[in-house]
Amino acid sequence: MTASKISSRSTIVSLLIGAVLVVLLGARINSLENYTFARVVQDFLNALTLGSLYALIALGYTMVYGIIRLINFAHGEIFMLGSYFAFYAMTLTPLPWAISLLVTVLLGGTVLLVLRSLFNLEEPKRTFVLSLIIFGGTFFLLTFRKMGWVEGLALSMLATGVAGVLLEAVAYKPLRGAPRESMLITAIAASFFLQNFGQLVFGARVRGFNAQTILNKPLNFHIGPETVYFTGILVVVPLITALLLWVLNMFVSRTRLGKAMRATAQDAEVAQMMGVNVNQVIALTFFIGSILAAAAGVMYAIRFGQIHPLMGLMPGIKAFTAAVIGGIGSLPGAVLGGLLLGFIEIYVVSLFPTLSAYKDVFAFVLLILILLFRPSGLVGEDLTEKV
Amino acid sequence: MRKSLLLAVLVILGSFAFAQVKIGVNLELSGRFAAIGNQTLNGIKVAHMQMPKVLGQDVQLVICDDETTREGSIACAQRFVNEGVVGVLGAISSSMSIPAAEVLQDAGIIMISTSSTNPQTTQIGEYIFRMAYTDDFQGKLAAAYVIKDLGAKRVAVFRQIDDDYSYGLAGFFDATAKKLGAKTLIQDFVANTVDFTAQLNNIRGFKPDAIYYSGFCAEGAPFMKQLREQGFTQQVIGADASDDPQCPEGAGAAFDGWIFTGFATPNLIPDPEAKKRAEAFKAKYFAAIKDAKPGDFNGFVLAGADSYNVLVAAIKKAGTTDIKAVRDALANMEHYPGVSGDITYKGTDGTPKDRTIGFYQYKVKSASDWNKIELFGKSTAEVQ
Repeated sequence: MTASKISSRSTIVSLLIGAVLVVLLGARINSLENYTFARVVQDFLNALTLGSLYALIALGYTMVYGIIRLINFAHGEIFMLGSYFAFYAMTLTPLPWAISLLVTVLLGGTVLLVLRSLFNLEEPKRTFVLSLIIFGGTFFLLTFRKMGWVEGLALSMLATGVAGVLLEAVAYKPLRGAPRESMLITAIAASFFLQNFGQLVFGARVRGFNAQTILNKPLNFHIGPETVYFTGILVVVPLITALLLWVLNMFVSRTRLGKAMRATAQDAEVAQMMGVNVNQVIALTFFIGSILAAAAGVMYAIRFGQIHPLMGLMPGIKAFTAAVIGGIGSLPGAVLGGLLLGFIEIYVVSLFPTLSAYKDVFAFVLLILILLFRPSGLVGEDLTEKV
Repeated sequence: MRKSLLLAVLVILGSFAFAQVKIGVNLELSGRFAAIGNQTLNGIKVAHMQMPKVLGQDVQLVICDDETTREGSIACAQRFVNEGVVGVLGAISSSMSIPAAEVLQDAGIIMISTSSTNPQTTQIGEYIFRMAYTDDFQGKLAAAYVIKDLGAKRVAVFRQIDDDYSYGLAGFFDATAKKLGAKTLIQDFVANTVDFTAQLNNIRGFKPDAIYYSGFCAEGAPFMKQLREQGFTQQVIGADASDDPQCPEGAGAAFDGWIFTGFATPNLIPDPEAKKRAEAFKAKYFAAIKDAKPGDFNGFVLAGADSYNVLVAAIKKAGTTDIKAVRDALANMEHYPGVSGDITYKGTDGTPKDRTIGFYQYKVKSASDWNKIELFGKSTAEVQ
């Protein structure tokens, strides 16, 4: 009873703060010259896109935290891997058939093993069908033509998901049951390792991600005399984010494995006693989180046109901030936090041009305020189930 | 008995091993400025191949990667202090050069920054030199070009506020542009910014005739891509940091037409003798560095080579590896025939008296098909 009182009071307080902010921003927009309606639309679209990207990365942080209470600092690097996988998929294909066969066997084999263990597909018939689809599909994609962004995105999501599972198996699984600090330090080490691995294997240079896709085509439209500059990516990013979020939500709330995930998040030990395979659930969480990071990585690369081995650092920190602001462990919280951060970054620059160098400071000040006054985040509540 | 014999052998071997002149190389070999760092390193290596010995001793290059971080640069400088090098070549950028210079000046070790252009760098102390011109010239020349030659009346200036080079250069550009009667609007960003859409919306109402960008390619490539996507068709002018393949490779065709000021390449060096030396060096460079692409040879390579050349020349002239004597020889150097032009340190704060700034333009068809056109060269002596 007291809890509901407190929550309704804090809702009123946050609504009040929100209303004051909206009035202040409105006044600021009114006082700015040249701030036309077209610009409001333009800024809104840009902010929505950036925020959606942060949201996708933040989901990975929040899911892993929800399950094993670990801030996976290597998540930004998983995001980087995702963009590189797509880059190579889209620039190196079509491969000569012999190399393609080799890659298919190696990649397909790993993917198959991981998928089998993740989704309980031990039954021979299912395994056969699955391996046919994976090997055939990979070989087909690699050999016959240059991959477009959709195939690149799909292949990269799959490969990155597997990379995430491998990372968990190598770096975090041996530390199951160890103090949380050990895991945290390992996560930082994994992050450094992957950054340097990236520099070694992919080269330390910035690379252009200039695949001419339909997403980069200008689709400008007019509002009155003003033009809104628009490309396909501005619609696709929020749409894909919404779609993935919906699928994720369905998976977590409607499937058996989703139920197992929620159970593990609530209490891993009890879940294990009830017959939930906790190791499998954790690996699955990493798989899904990494898939989302890969999607973000590919779309980030298409939007901004370049990739490099250290590119995961800032988006990683931002997305982590977003996850904490939203309430770490909560899925809607991560999305809300990501969008909020995207909007802050765009609107600070556009409403307060003299402060544009401090746009990151605003995000981090918000983080500190949240940690001081609402440590469980905007949406997160201490006692509700996480994931 | 046998033990002492072994010891004696070790000591003799050891003294052979130490009969070497050590020169530190502190460069951005990974991280944001990796491409320029590696070009500079190649220049140093080729110069080293041509003059591998000084005073009868082998020159050993001790290479340290500062990873394009200030902390990394300080760590490299401290490592060189411990290793007992005569001098340090690098770093390329002002932001990495200034912290290293503070460490090396305190330790009394010579440092020659290959391409730091912020005026502060050489003012840190008498042990700090550079191979480049300074940003007051670069900013002045660029502003004069944009206002007088291109006829721009309103210029939007983009600067990276957390970088010593970019911030300083934008200031010099802005001051000269205002003096010449143009209106300017400055927009700030920070390192690793990729989303420039809000800044671009800010300059839309200002209706600029030209856009000046004083930052690096890691941000410059996405900047240019979004600039064109957002419907801006104005001429963009950059500075020497955009003399980096990461710019056209990162932005692709959107980067076409970008004009920038930078180190002079052989064709733009006015002194015919210096031009000949630069051409000869270019031939050696491509013979030595097998995988070098044509676009990889630029002023940074020449600056790297000359930083090595002048240090070795100063050691030769001093006739000793005593650092103080070498520093004095370097500070009194006059008319050294470098591959980047004539080098005179006598009477300066460690900045060569006469440098040539080249104006270039990118022609970019795609990320893999691009080149640079040399427009013209201007000597800093003329501007003085």
